[in-house]
Amino acid sequence: MTRKALKIWFPWVLGVWMIVVIVAAFFYAPPAQGFKGESSRIVFFHVPQAWVAVLAFCVNLVASVRYLRRRDPLDDARAAAAARLGLVFSVLATITGSLFARVMWGSFWNWDPREVSIAILLLVYAAYFALREMVPDEERRSTLSAAYAVLAFVTMPFLIFVVPRIYWSLHPDTIISASGQLRFEMESRMRQVFFGSLMGFTGLFAWLYTLDVRLARVRMSRARREEV
Amino acid sequence: MVLFAAMPEISITFDRVGKRFGSRQVLANLSGAIEPGQVLVVVGPNGSGKSTLINIIAGLMRPSRGEVAYRDGEGTLPRARWFEYLGMAAPDMAVYEELSARENLRFFARVRGLHRSDAALDDLLETTGLPRRERDRPVATYSSGMKQRVKLAQAVLHAPAVLLLDEPSSNLDEAGHELVARIVQDFRPRAAVAVATNDPREMAWADARIELAG
Amino acid sequence: MLGKEVTAELRSRVALNAIGLFALTTLVAVAYQIGPYQIAEEDRPHLLAALLWIILFFAATSGLARVFVKEEDSHTAKTLRLAARPTAVFVGKYLFNLVLLLALYDVIVPLFCALMGYAVAGVPGLVMVMVGGAVALAATSTIVAAIISRASGSSTLFAIMSVPLVLPLLVFLIRGTRDAAGSGDLQPVLASLRAIVAYAGVTLITSVGLFRVVWND
Repeated sequence: MTRKALKIWFPWVLGVWMIVVIVAAFFYAPPAQGFKGESSRIVFFHVPQAWVAVLAFCVNLVASVRYLRRRDPLDDARAAAAARLGLVFSVLATITGSLFARVMWGSFWNWDPREVSIAILLLVYAAYFALREMVPDEERRSTLSAAYAVLAFVTMPFLIFVVPRIYWSLHPDTIISASGQLRFEMESRMRQVFFGSLMGFTGLFAWLYTLDVRLARVRMSRARREEV
Repeated sequence: MVLFAAMPEISITFDRVGKRFGSRQVLANLSGAIEPGQVLVVVGPNGSGKSTLINIIAGLMRPSRGEVAYRDGEGTLPRARWFEYLGMAAPDMAVYEELSARENLRFFARVRGLHRSDAALDDLLETTGLPRRERDRPVATYSSGMKQRVKLAQAVLHAPAVLLLDEPSSNLDEAGHELVARIVQDFRPRAAVAVATNDPREMAWADARIELAG
Repeated sequence: MLGKEVTAELRSRVALNAIGLFALTTLVAVAYQIGPYQIAEEDRPHLLAALLWIILFFAATSGLARVFVKEEDSHTAKTLRLAARPTAVFVGKYLFNLVLLLALYDVIVPLFCALMGYAVAGVPGLVMVMVGGAVALAATSTIVAAIISRASGSSTLFAIMSVPLVLPLLVFLIRGTRDAAGSGDLQPVLASLRAIVAYAGVTLITSVGLFRVVWND
């Protein structure tokens, strides 16, 4: 399939896919045991959002490191695009997580380490953009935010892996058990919907990211033309 | 006044250099070279980008477009090492106000890995015309002319192969201007010298000129 | 570098004053509001540990950025950039911040314990946590200070950028302090100490590498 054809078809396929996923999440998959009422359905949305937020973080890191090596402004555009999406998805993940917490345990915030990790990721993204706002020189802005991204990435493992080990977690263990291993205890229909949603959200991220980078590329070439 | 033994001869080329700050294009498509034995003078009205160009040549700023290269006869030097061969004085490059002139020079010598005796540093301060009794007082107490002399001393301390001077005679009286002229003459034979200025006396030193429109 | 920093600082005393005053005033405010007798007994260890580190962290925020912001403000940054190797600059400034933090801890921690009635059972454990905390906190603060000094230099930006990075460290520090204060047994403290040392190591190594690009833009 040519790239042009892909560009045209992909958003539509993605749209249909997501609609199917959403419908299936509510009507096809059964509610999980141990959860209050229908609240388990949030897993189909909350976890993929958190996953995309982390994925965006990794994309941002790769782009940042590449920028620091090659100083290609396009890499900086890529890093910023990933970070923008990361911010959006970590906000979504925090909100859906919070709503779920309200239903399950009666309060919006419980200081569960995984909840906190996503919130901190959100803070990192916010700080990333705050930094960018404060630097008018483009080359310097790219360098400094790339440096911060690397620094943040390096401290993240402590938050994600070490802290939960030390603290008891409220987080449902259906996905990740206390020892950090992935366990799929979901019934098969739930599993289908879950993975479908995961792929859908990843596709959503990929699509929006590509659009953002394409836009940046156009802006850059226009600026170059104006210069000469 | 200075020893050139340790420094190689460096030539600098800048190719199609441009710099943009947001939507403002400060420099565009500038090419040129600074060779040892040559003095390049950069002229232009205030805000025309003289200091920006000097900063880019010094490696303190990255150009938006184009490249700057330092060559020492064996090949190109990586940007991380330019500062070793570079001496620079500029209006926005100060010395430490809490330290005295002597302490400043002592610090900069040590940080550059030079072993200069106090006597040698004192000689250097002598040639810049800084009064003896001031040398141990904190720089914060100096007049702007005296501060400029210390800045110049700092710039030539390590007998650099490349000398960049941004408005060197600012804040200086006639004697001060002669000091700058003497420094440029001393360095001209072996070093690559660039001066950014609007002073016609300094423009007269030029072997090559770049005019910035602003 | 370190010598120059110390000399300059001793003559002007700006950072010392900023950090010291901040820590003291916060401490007094906390002590006045909470007092040594108003906290439930089982909550005390954790709460007091947390309060202590909040005070120490924000005091650090108020003064550690100075090592770089001052250079940019007084226009000596460029001169330094053209004179010294980046690693030397970083190490010198880092050590200065470390010394500053350790000096701060020496004063504030005993004062805190006295004012808040914080009985510390395991002093060696506490000392180790404090030293580890200073090493790690100084590392993060120094590199973030370098970054913000090339941006706007505002301490708000410094706080915004530091907090997400330092939160995991604070978790370890508070836990370690709580465990050290709770008993003379070093065992529980060691788990936190391991995490603190790992964090410090990772941050330091990354900072040294990143500093070069941040400093030279």
